[in-house]
Amino acid sequence: MRFWLNPEFVRHLRSELRRTRALTMLAIVGIICLLVGLACWNSQQNRLEEMRRLALQFDGHWNQRLTEMEERSLAEFWKLYYGVLIFIQTAVLTFWSLLSCAQSISGERERKTWDFQRTTRLTSVELMLGKLLGEPILAYFIVACCVPITLIAGFAADVSLLHIVLAYVLVICSALFVGSAGLWLSSLLESRSRGLGIIGALGLYAVVAGAYGFRDSNFPGLAAFSPITSLLSLFGYQTDPPVQARLFGKPISWPVMSVLLYVSFGAWLIAMIVDNIKRDYDEVRPLSRWQTVGCATFLNFVLCLEFYPRPDRMFLFTAGFGSGPPIRIFGAHDFATTMLLIDAAVLFAVGLATLTPYEQLKAWRRRRTNEQANMLSEGGLPWPWLVLSGMTAYGVLSFGLFIWRKELPIEARFFGNVAVQSLVVCVFVVRDVLFVQWCRLTRLRSPLIKGFLYLCLYYVASAIVAGLFAFSSYTESQHVLNVLTPSCIFASQSAGLVFSGSVALGLILQLILVALLLRAITARLNSSLTTHDAVAA
Amino acid sequence: MIQLTNLSKEFDSLTAVSDLSLEIPRGEIYGLIGPNGAGKTTTIRMACGLLTPTRGTVCVSGINVLKEPERAQQHIGYLSDFFSVYENLKVWEYLDYFAHAYKMTEINIRDRITEVISQTGLEVKRGAAIRGLSRGMKQRLGIARAIIHQPSILLLDEPASGLDPKARFDLRQLLRSLSDQGTTILVSSHILTELEGFCTSIGIMEKGRLLRSGRVEEISASGSERFIHIEWIGEYAATVKSVLAQHNKVVKSQVGSTEGMLEFIGDDEGLATLLSALVRAGVRMLSFKEKKQSVEDIYLKISHHEVM
Repeated sequence: MRFWLNPEFVRHLRSELRRTRALTMLAIVGIICLLVGLACWNSQQNRLEEMRRLALQFDGHWNQRLTEMEERSLAEFWKLYYGVLIFIQTAVLTFWSLLSCAQSISGERERKTWDFQRTTRLTSVELMLGKLLGEPILAYFIVACCVPITLIAGFAADVSLLHIVLAYVLVICSALFVGSAGLWLSSLLESRSRGLGIIGALGLYAVVAGAYGFRDSNFPGLAAFSPITSLLSLFGYQTDPPVQARLFGKPISWPVMSVLLYVSFGAWLIAMIVDNIKRDYDEVRPLSRWQTVGCATFLNFVLCLEFYPRPDRMFLFTAGFGSGPPIRIFGAHDFATTMLLIDAAVLFAVGLATLTPYEQLKAWRRRRTNEQANMLSEGGLPWPWLVLSGMTAYGVLSFGLFIWRKELPIEARFFGNVAVQSLVVCVFVVRDVLFVQWCRLTRLRSPLIKGFLYLCLYYVASAIVAGLFAFSSYTESQHVLNVLTPSCIFASQSAGLVFSGSVALGLILQLILVALLLRAITARLNSSLTTHDAVAA
Repeated sequence: MIQLTNLSKEFDSLTAVSDLSLEIPRGEIYGLIGPNGAGKTTTIRMACGLLTPTRGTVCVSGINVLKEPERAQQHIGYLSDFFSVYENLKVWEYLDYFAHAYKMTEINIRDRITEVISQTGLEVKRGAAIRGLSRGMKQRLGIARAIIHQPSILLLDEPASGLDPKARFDLRQLLRSLSDQGTTILVSSHILTELEGFCTSIGIMEKGRLLRSGRVEEISASGSERFIHIEWIGEYAATVKSVLAQHNKVVKSQVGSTEGMLEFIGDDEGLATLLSALVRAGVRMLSFKEKKQSVEDIYLKISHHEVM
């Protein structure tokens, strides 16, 4: 279906863009563009004035620069105006898209109009497209009003049409990406939690805009999440030292990287939205079982792909202080630790995304009792899939270490250590996810949030206990941390195999806890089934 | 036709609907009655595919709602008990949106909107903004939305709430005419008089279970008791009491000064005997007629005997 005929899009168009509102908006946009133009002109004149003052004071070289600047003055003004207009449109479109989409589905749930949309013949894809493009329709209209002025400014600044089109493609791609993130967030929110949607949207916006900061990290490509990075690169602005986006260390242009990230991450978001948009709130489950494994692998793979160990970050050059060789300050161990930390977060997040609703779990239990379902069935507990995800994450990490073996030399025992650390991460994540799953089966209100807070409390308490031990002995405190937390991922590789006694004890303890949680979940399900069967009888 | 087979829905620790099986033939108006929390809304939400049943299947016009939801929606019109409309749209725009969402043929949409607007008495509000409509008007608009795509099955959850008496009458007329055209209607209500004389079949639900289901006359005839209302003139209350007490087919009686109500078990012959006994005892009878059981009577009787 053509999107402009999509009923949901047409509904937004009709309700939010009536003639009076459109004309008012057009007038406002015109005034704002004029004001921005005046501000840019003023800024350019101020710079010229400053140069004139310097030329009067110092003559010679400054006079020459003044002449050059005066010659370029008009073109510079248009360039500045064009750049500012593009940035304003990016900010308006992305912010509006995110905020409106983040309140879309939860807002409909709140207004009690959602069920009627769900009972129409609109498919999940049509509904999603209608909302994604329709919710921020006013922002798109604002951008459309700005286009002629931007084109004039761009052409006057000698910017090619292709360049302008590329800039708009980037702006629209980023708006669609953040819009789908907002829609995904909204699909997970209950009608009462609209405020949470706004907070979440603002948080997401901060993350996307703040991704610019990744330029200076070992994952520079992630900076392409922020449209600022690509637009600056498109406008020819360079940082000092220049930073390039990279895939497996090979340079790639920022706009291409942005589009790649938006498309790949957007595809996951869209898959989750399409799978869930027509479901009742209680039946929403962001990721299916296989998607859990796929998503964990994808995220780990992207991180490996984006990793680039910059030479100036790997070695401390001692040239100024003597003629000694450079000291390595970033090695394979640091890479592995970073990846394991991210892997823990990813596994926990996909674990939460794959938690089974109570009702489905009961149905699965009933089928399992009748031997019609197994542990890997769709409605079952998420832990077998988390283990599988953990294994693939380890595979990806090993692959990353192999790829970067020249830049980050590794020893033979390294893979064994990483395997142990991956196992520890996996066991702890399984325990935590099962704990949250158990919370969902209790009568707790907001079980997800409370379960998460209890886990935070546990880790803070563990840190305090370890801190108390640290007064007597650092080693003892390390052992306590190894038993209670997955802290062994920080253990130094140079000390030999990380699989110490305390790590083994911690693993056994966590496995016992996992078994207890499984038993508690099964007992609760069995008791619930018995009650239901009694009622039915 | 609607076919619900062994339908169950469990929410956490609550069983909202338990093993419900129901078949509503084409053209029937089926009233689902029961107190709040009986499971009526859950049943209707499962029937229109909004909720996935824990167990069981839902078929409408031979289509499995769970397996082919979009195809099934073509045949279903749904109206929930509490709902809202898009306030920023005009009446015709709202209906146009749903007509397109139900993928009606473009050429028919305009005429259908006019037809539906006239059926629901919204002619004067066609171009009005929904924001300015009264609650009753919005309810009418909701009904118009539910029938815009000419569904063969209409699922209505408390459709008359918020409607004035005239609008209620119009709604009944509309539903009757839709039923005559072959539309199968499942309507739920806890206000029993709302369904009186309008449903062809009823189902009584309580605590997630269907206690009784069938055609209204079958259910009312299923009990052996007959309710007789009598009236007389003069001071004969004591005589009436004594005659009724002596008659072994009178199960229960309430006697006032000039009228009474009695529960009778027996056929027409027995009733005639009772009437002649009263006349023979010198009571100057004014009227002696059987009172048909209302839906409310049936509900109270079944609910009282089988659940409470």
